[in-house]
Amino acid sequence: MRTKILQSLARLHADHPWKMLGIGLFVTIILGVFASQLKQTVRWSDLLPAKDRRTIEYNKVIDDFVSATSIVVVVQGEEERIKAFAEEVVPLIEAAADPKEGELYIKRIDYKLETGFLKDHGLMLTKADDLKNMKDVFENPNLVPLLENINKGLEKEYVGRGESISTREKEDNAVRFLDGLENLVKTMRGSVAEAPITKAKAQEAVDRLLFGGPYMLSYDKKALILNLIPNFNMTEMEKVVSSTEAIQKVIDSTLKGYPDVQAGLTGMIPLAHDEEIYALKSMGHTTIIAFVAIFILLVFSFRMWVAPLLALLNLLMGIIWAMGLTTLLVGELNLMTSGMAAILIGLGIDFSIHIISIFAEGRSLGKPIEIAMEETFLKSGMGILIGGLTTCAVFFTMLISSSRGMKEMGLVTGSGLLAVLIVTFLSLPSLLCLRERRLERRRQKKGLQKVMKDISFKSFGAVTSFLSRRYIATIISSIVVTVLLVVSALQISFDQNMMNMEAKGLTSIALQDTVLNKFDLSMDYALILADRVGESRSLAQKAKNLSSVAMVDDISLYLPSEEQQRRRTPYLNEIRKAILASNLNNDFGPNDLNELVKELKRLQMNIMELQDMAFLGGQDKVESKCSELVGKPDEPEPKSTISELIHLLEGNRKIATVGLKRFQKEFAPYFKESVLRMSSAQMISLRDLPTSILDRYANQARSQFLVAVFPAGNIWQDKGYLERFVSDLEKVSRKATGMAPVMKALFDVVAKDGKKAVMLSIAVIFMLLWLDFRKLGYALLAMIPLTAGAFWMVGVMKLVGMQLTVMNIMGLPMIIGIGIDDGVHIIHRWRIEGRGMVKKIFASTGKAILLTSITTMLAFGSLIFSVWRGFASLGGAMFIGVGTCFLSTVIILSGIIGLLERKRGNSK
Amino acid sequence: MNAKMIPIKVLGAFAALIWILLPAAVSGQELTSEQIMNRVNKLVSPETVKARIRMVIVTSSGKRRTFLYDSFSKDRGEKNLIRYIEPSRVKGEAILMLNNAEDIWIYFPRTKRVRKLATHTKRQKWEGSDFSYEDMGTGETFLKDFNSKKLGSEKKEGYDCYKIELNRKRGSDVGYSRLILWVIKENFFPVVINYYDRNDPGTLEKVLVQSNIKEIDGIPTGMKMVMYNKQDNTETSMEILDVKYNVKLDDGLFTERGLRK
Repeated sequence: MRTKILQSLARLHADHPWKMLGIGLFVTIILGVFASQLKQTVRWSDLLPAKDRRTIEYNKVIDDFVSATSIVVVVQGEEERIKAFAEEVVPLIEAAADPKEGELYIKRIDYKLETGFLKDHGLMLTKADDLKNMKDVFENPNLVPLLENINKGLEKEYVGRGESISTREKEDNAVRFLDGLENLVKTMRGSVAEAPITKAKAQEAVDRLLFGGPYMLSYDKKALILNLIPNFNMTEMEKVVSSTEAIQKVIDSTLKGYPDVQAGLTGMIPLAHDEEIYALKSMGHTTIIAFVAIFILLVFSFRMWVAPLLALLNLLMGIIWAMGLTTLLVGELNLMTSGMAAILIGLGIDFSIHIISIFAEGRSLGKPIEIAMEETFLKSGMGILIGGLTTCAVFFTMLISSSRGMKEMGLVTGSGLLAVLIVTFLSLPSLLCLRERRLERRRQKKGLQKVMKDISFKSFGAVTSFLSRRYIATIISSIVVTVLLVVSALQISFDQNMMNMEAKGLTSIALQDTVLNKFDLSMDYALILADRVGESRSLAQKAKNLSSVAMVDDISLYLPSEEQQRRRTPYLNEIRKAILASNLNNDFGPNDLNELVKELKRLQMNIMELQDMAFLGGQDKVESKCSELVGKPDEPEPKSTISELIHLLEGNRKIATVGLKRFQKEFAPYFKESVLRMSSAQMISLRDLPTSILDRYANQARSQFLVAVFPAGNIWQDKGYLERFVSDLEKVSRKATGMAPVMKALFDVVAKDGKKAVMLSIAVIFMLLWLDFRKLGYALLAMIPLTAGAFWMVGVMKLVGMQLTVMNIMGLPMIIGIGIDDGVHIIHRWRIEGRGMVKKIFASTGKAILLTSITTMLAFGSLIFSVWRGFASLGGAMFIGVGTCFLSTVIILSGIIGLLERKRGNSK
Repeated sequence: MNAKMIPIKVLGAFAALIWILLPAAVSGQELTSEQIMNRVNKLVSPETVKARIRMVIVTSSGKRRTFLYDSFSKDRGEKNLIRYIEPSRVKGEAILMLNNAEDIWIYFPRTKRVRKLATHTKRQKWEGSDFSYEDMGTGETFLKDFNSKKLGSEKKEGYDCYKIELNRKRGSDVGYSRLILWVIKENFFPVVINYYDRNDPGTLEKVLVQSNIKEIDGIPTGMKMVMYNKQDNTETSMEILDVKYNVKLDDGLFTERGLRK
């Protein structure tokens, strides 16, 4: 039955090649139309099960909160220059619009503090403990009493806290306050040493003392962040790409006027853009590398170039079918399936190699086209079919995975390979027949005779024949090598650093590190959706108490609870009463100057003590800020901003009195007015919050609120920390999502799915082989080199210093499907050829499996050049795996065949 | 045969046997948790201690910083003074803890001023380390603030140990709800202490492991201490470079004047 079907198919190709080719081309055109509509997604969350709670929450956030998917511009350079750059570039970015729809890309740019709201409610947003400790500072606007009150506050024994605050928050608050002080000292110095103080300068000094600096500057003030809130969301991929490119263009052109400034884009949208563009680019260049390398190899091995070209043409048709089918089945490629083309090239070319190999052998021995094609189908047809189907079956076993990534990988690659298999049986033999006919016609025209030659790999056959004859040594050596490599395989570790999976050389990824280093802020923060403000507040409070959390950002920062507001009100009333009672002193005489110098000296001592305590306590940011004010104690001549002012005042008493009088005249009324305004005891409600704040934390319907939880450590480089952070988040809310929970879930799901897929693959392959060979012994025989080859693969990976990763772990079920083919082909041929033919079998079919293995290795090897290090790790693992499976098949099967033939010989 | 008939020699031999076996039976009798903790307390709270210690902390930006200081303790840990020696920029800075760290003062030689820290500080991290002020000097806290319970015997850090659980007494404001100690049977030295969260006895907060145990002035002393913070995933190590017990320490050392010296 099988023989008849194969013979008929061979005859169809020999008799009606154009018809067969026509059918193939027709389907290719139809599926090509679908293939052109294939899309790609680069979100890691798309790899998780669609019903996973983290995926659902993540998608909800992406859909509802444009602020959660912002574009971040990181500007680096000297403080004044980066501020100037920001001021110039902001209106230009705001004006950037989609050329098709004319809609502005950006809704709002956050790069300065929301001072309007702070000016009205600043003190109501201050914790009761802080108000209690620092209330004196706000009671008198005149310079001397103000400094005296600041000193009193700094010297006071601090009273315990009722409201929780993280160490990071404490450090940040201290730095902000010290920064305001530094600016006040510098402005006083300017009012004496430079031009008369302007009203704006004096007001800036008040604002910075009361609210901190307006720009989102790094601790060292050498980097600045612009947070661009888009008018679209992450699902609009076209806008993701066009907006990133348009904004990058605006930045690049503005940078021309700032050669000393650097600026680049990061954040979810630019990352998605870069990943999309680079994924396509990467897929393109690895595919070309694979095609070229395979073509060169085939030309050298078959000593002709047309047949390999036809094989690649056939493969190209197969890939078009596969891509068309992918569009129909899943609609888009994900991060795992985007390397599908390279996998299909590696595996799909094998079918063609077997056909060309046997057909070319027959033809070179002078057999007619029809006979050579029939022999090709009979000798290699079943091997190709069973080998191909087992590989497809292995991919299809991934359908049992719960992760969407692996499920789609199985579906897309399995059906893709099936498509290539069908195309190979449908088109390649016809192409080969047509070529041979053309060559024959040309030879007849020129009256030439066909040169007979044996193109099989005789030396390869000789080596395996030697191994087969010395089967005892071969089998014992194989066992020793296997044991050693199993020991090595058991020691392999798993690389949990997800950054090692990302594309290298991407600015958007490099800038994430810049943000982490300069701002001490991880951009991979977790997100929790709350249904009410109260829930958001309580989630934030819970998260703040976790040691794995650095900082929490939520609406409660601007909307304290009623109880908190009530607790703060008495302090606000006290401050208000005191500042109202204070008189503005329009005079500043020599006595005031003496008092001011005294208070400045006291302030210097207070800051020095703070600096020493920060040094002992390891609070680097506070220590470094103090050093700017009072100098570094271990330097021979510490540069101190306060000392410099004191010297200036003491050395220029007259000028100082005049300058400071003018400064006080501008400073004090604005200070009083500001404190009066910000000490309003009016209760804040959701309605009072400005749109810019609401947009940041609430969705459009204002029915859901976003809590951002920033990790205290590096979630990608420390597996223990990632697990602790995710488990802590689970304690806060089971709705927590974001990169950390998503990746942790992905690790767990992939590990579980990988195990399941491996077990099922082995079972399915075994069943298929049993059905094919109809003898349990042959099925088991085919499995032996595969099992050894899989262990050799992991063992060699460990020996060359590789680790298992979330991507290359997929190689384990894949190698089971791919590695089995070599054994299947050899056993099929052995059964056809019979006893004593080891040399011939390996010279002919061995040549084919050598070539198919090398081509598969080349295809997977091309992935090593992918910018995606995840794919590179998969490519590297598969390169090794295909090689070890080939070697184990050749060595172990030679030995076992030798043993079996000897036994049968003896029994006969 | 009744008792009367037992020859006197046999009775004498039996009495002698009891006499010989009795001390062994008594010493083999299991100690109660209170007895063990009394022995531990005696050991960890000698009348006075003078030591030179090297401590390594990790700063907020991840750098390692090493300090060398002299530590003086009196009245079974109720009074403590720490004076920094290295690095040079902190030389002379000193911390005085009285009343089991209820009152803490710090002296700054740069400004020549003394500052008092608030009471709640005692539960906070001691100078960037994983030790709290409370861990550094709390006198007889094991007996005063906790009820003890023996959990059994266990091998820990290579030693045969008693495993003792201490639960905070009602009314005590000590910073831990529960402690578990592994006390070496041979010398009553607490080789490992697990500290549990102030509010949640189920959450392990810190683990103190003492090693390189040497007998100094007849007192077993862990020359190396590492405090592992299980919540922050950090650790602080302290190494005792020199230690003397029961030396004469003047009360004046534990005053503001002593602080400034």
